[in-house]
Amino acid sequence: MAKTKEIQRRIKSVNSTKKITKAMEMVAASKMRKAVDAVLKTRTYANLSWITILNISKSVGAGKYLHPLMEKRSEIKKVAIILMSSNRGLCGSFNSAIINKAVKSIRKHQEKNGQKKIETDFVIVGKKGLTVNSRYGYGVVAEFAKADIAAEVREVMPIAKLVIDDFLQGKYDKVMVAYTDFISAINQVPSVKQLLPIDIEAQDDYLGIMGKDTRVGADKDYYQEKEDKYLKDKDKKRFFVFSYEPGPKQVLDEMLPRLIEVQLFQALLESNASEHSARVAAMQKASESATELVDQLTLYYNKARQAAITNEIAEISAGANALNNN
Amino acid sequence: MYKSKEIIKFEIVTPEKIALKEMIKKVTVPTEEGFITVLPKHMPLVGILKPGVIELVNENNEHKIMSVSGGFIEVFRNKVVLLADTAERAEEIDLAKAEAARKTAEQSLKNLRTSDKERFANINASLAKELARTKAVIRWKKINKL
Repeated sequence: MAKTKEIQRRIKSVNSTKKITKAMEMVAASKMRKAVDAVLKTRTYANLSWITILNISKSVGAGKYLHPLMEKRSEIKKVAIILMSSNRGLCGSFNSAIINKAVKSIRKHQEKNGQKKIETDFVIVGKKGLTVNSRYGYGVVAEFAKADIAAEVREVMPIAKLVIDDFLQGKYDKVMVAYTDFISAINQVPSVKQLLPIDIEAQDDYLGIMGKDTRVGADKDYYQEKEDKYLKDKDKKRFFVFSYEPGPKQVLDEMLPRLIEVQLFQALLESNASEHSARVAAMQKASESATELVDQLTLYYNKARQAAITNEIAEISAGANALNNN
Repeated sequence: MYKSKEIIKFEIVTPEKIALKEMIKKVTVPTEEGFITVLPKHMPLVGILKPGVIELVNENNEHKIMSVSGGFIEVFRNKVVLLADTAERAEEIDLAKAEAARKTAEQSLKNLRTSDKERFANINASLAKELARTKAVIRWKKINKL
């Protein structure tokens, strides 16, 4: 009897765990819906503004006015990475994937730089990113709280201000952002993108349009245009010059910080959508394996119960037999 | 068919949505230095938008009026992209509400005694936005002879 009791207790505990994971899945699912809505809404704006910036950066490459935020430094000594992680765990490999990606990109960078050490500082958004410090030993210069559902561009303004100021003062020669691109509810890709200086010819690994997605805004037209803009021009060296209204300095001064904010905001939204999707998936899996475990335990329980009954019957009939024989 | 010599691909996007995506013949936008009209084959241009009224003629010769509250314009090889902070079509704006919102903003601007720069700028921006919305509706009514 002792054995069946024990199994019963385990079944109970697994069942209550399942209830919790189920509830967490529901919560994550509703957050995911909101986050995905938000990310899809702003994607077009972010993409188009990024294209605008790239166009400008290409046009000023022809030797016109160069804004300090576009200026490439000849030697990269110190890099800042803005890492978008989650506040809480239980979301599968979401955090470890993005951290790995960031660390890998640092190593790659160093290799290209002839193994020279590039100092790297992290700016962390979300609590879990601190792992880069505790496990990999990289410095963390700032940690920002992250809202589970980001609503306004204003939320990333302090981050943008911090990196822009530090970049302009020459503290960092490059600023990257590590975020998780939301592709679909079951597919999220950790990516690292160069934010500053704004540069169209950043290595392939870092180039990429935030939130590239076959479902939204990225139809054939879009790719064709992108190709026209980026590829054909390079071959023909057909530079063009933008005219600015009122003047290049005023326009770029106003535009670049704003668009960097938008990019950061988009990265945050992408990460949020990815995080909640990852959590939904993780919790779904947990609930599934809990169900499996309960099934298995129930089987054991029934077997144990049956064994006990058989045992009892055997004992009784043995006793009866003994009496009859007498 | 798309003829790049006569038609401009035009898009207004805001952080919330794609406000408008159309083939147009010309568009007039308010910039910092006054109104500019973009026709096909315009040279590449980047400008800062002021809150105000956008007027455009689409390929079917229909006039459309929209209000924007600041942002940027990019003209690029017969493609015009407006990155607006907010954008609304005139026919969707409720004139009475816009007027009321403008009055509220005016009032709070008057009441603002402390020299809080950020608040002042915020209220000023919303005032300009509401003014632009009102103007858009009036202009729209004029064109459609309502």
